[in-house]
This record gives sequence, structure tokens and C-alpha cells, in this order.
Amino acid sequence: MKEVMAIIRMNMMNQTKRALSDAGISSLTARDALGRGKGLVDMTLLKGAEQGYEEAISQLGQSQRLIPKRILFIVVNEKMVEKTVKTIIKVNRTGKSGDGKIFIMPASDSVRVRTGEKGATTLDD
Amino acid sequence: MIMIRSIVRPEKSDNVLSALMDAGFPAVTKMNVVGRGKQRGIKIGDITYDELPKELLLTVVKDNDKDFVIKTVIKAARSGKKGAFGDGKIFVTPVDEAYTISSGIRETSADESEEVKI
Repeated sequence: MKEVMAIIRMNMMNQTKRALSDAGISSLTARDALGRGKGLVDMTLLKGAEQGYEEAISQLGQSQRLIPKRILFIVVNEKMVEKTVKTIIKVNRTGKSGDGKIFIMPASDSVRVRTGEKGATTLDD
Repeated sequence: MIMIRSIVRPEKSDNVLSALMDAGFPAVTKMNVVGRGKQRGIKIGDITYDELPKELLLTVVKDNDKDFVIKTVIKAARSGKKGAFGDGKIFVTPVDEAYTISSGIRETSADESEEVKI
């Protein structure tokens, strides 16, 4: 059992959800998050867009500014990890920095609260 | 690789973020959370506040950098010299793999990296 934690662009959320459910991974938890990566914001992209958005632009900037992101937590069986990761990458890749990151962590067990069942039966097949 | 989840005071999170930036760890994710700790929240008169606002910072670093990053966070998040209740907590979890979506590069805990074909 593994926990897949994916940080993606906010506007990719709907596509990602659809692609994941098409791939048979229906259960997930999502949250709003703010984040920054290795790269800095490319200010040339914002040229001409400053007017009327001074406040928004000032939130970006050069150094430690944080960008709104969506973070997904998905717990899957070992054999589904690759499929999950590939689905997320396929949908979210634009090739530009800021597409996001996926982390895979071990999860020791899962319990269904309603029935008390444990283990693989509580997850998607 | 290791994920460091630090729960810090909201007013200290800017401090922690700039300390991490200066220390050469720019990549962080931040979330607003609420929680209580060992002291069971704060009791003021008859009212107990047990959903105290905190900020959760997620950073994934190489195994060798673990101690340094933890020290940096502690130094930046502690209030005063001795610290106080409510300064927060740091949890460390292993990360098996990390993928960068834009390039498709996969990094494993064994420090190997390769490009995944989609």
C-alpha cells in the first residue's frame, strides 16, 4: 500500500479527477495549498498584465512568494501506483515549470470506518 | 528521500520560509490547518480553545539534508530562546519516489533519476 501525494496546478483539477476516475482510481482527497518550487516566477510572462492586477502581481515576485496549488492524497495498492502516477503526469504535463510534483510514500494500513475492514479490500481495485 | 512536515505558528511561517530559502531549500508547500497538542488546547476562563490555527509546511529533502533542514526549521519557528507551548511539531516520513510532472523525471530514494515514458 502506498500513498501518492500529488501537487498540481489549480486549473488542472477537473481534468485530473476525470482522468483518474476513467483509470479506475475513484477515491482521493484534495486540498488547497500554497507552494513554491526550485524555479522562480518568470516575470516576462506577466508583462502587460500588470494593469488592474497590481495586488495579484505583487503576490508573485522574485523570491519567497507562494503560488496557489491543489494537493491530492491518494492511497492505492502497490500495483496501481504506476498507473496513478502516469495518469497524473499525462494530464498535467505542459512542459513548463510549475506543473507540480508527485511524491510516493509507504502507507502501513488502511481501515474502513463504516465496517472496520482492514487492508486491500478498502481500496480501489 | 524524506518528507518533513512542520506544523508551525502562522506568524512564524514567513520566518521559516525565508530561513529555508536562505538555506538553499526553496521548494515548500504550505497549508492552513487547525489542531491541538499535548496541552489540550488553551483554556481561558471557562472556554477551551482546541482548534488552534497553525500552518503546515511540507518539504521533501535528501536523507543527508534531513538534520540540517530540521535544525533550520526549529531555529526559525521557535518563539524566544527557550520556546513556548504551541510552537509546533515536526514529523519526518520516508518518501520512496518523487516525480516532476513537467519533465517526467523520476527520482528514487536510492538517488537514481530517470525519465519516465508516458
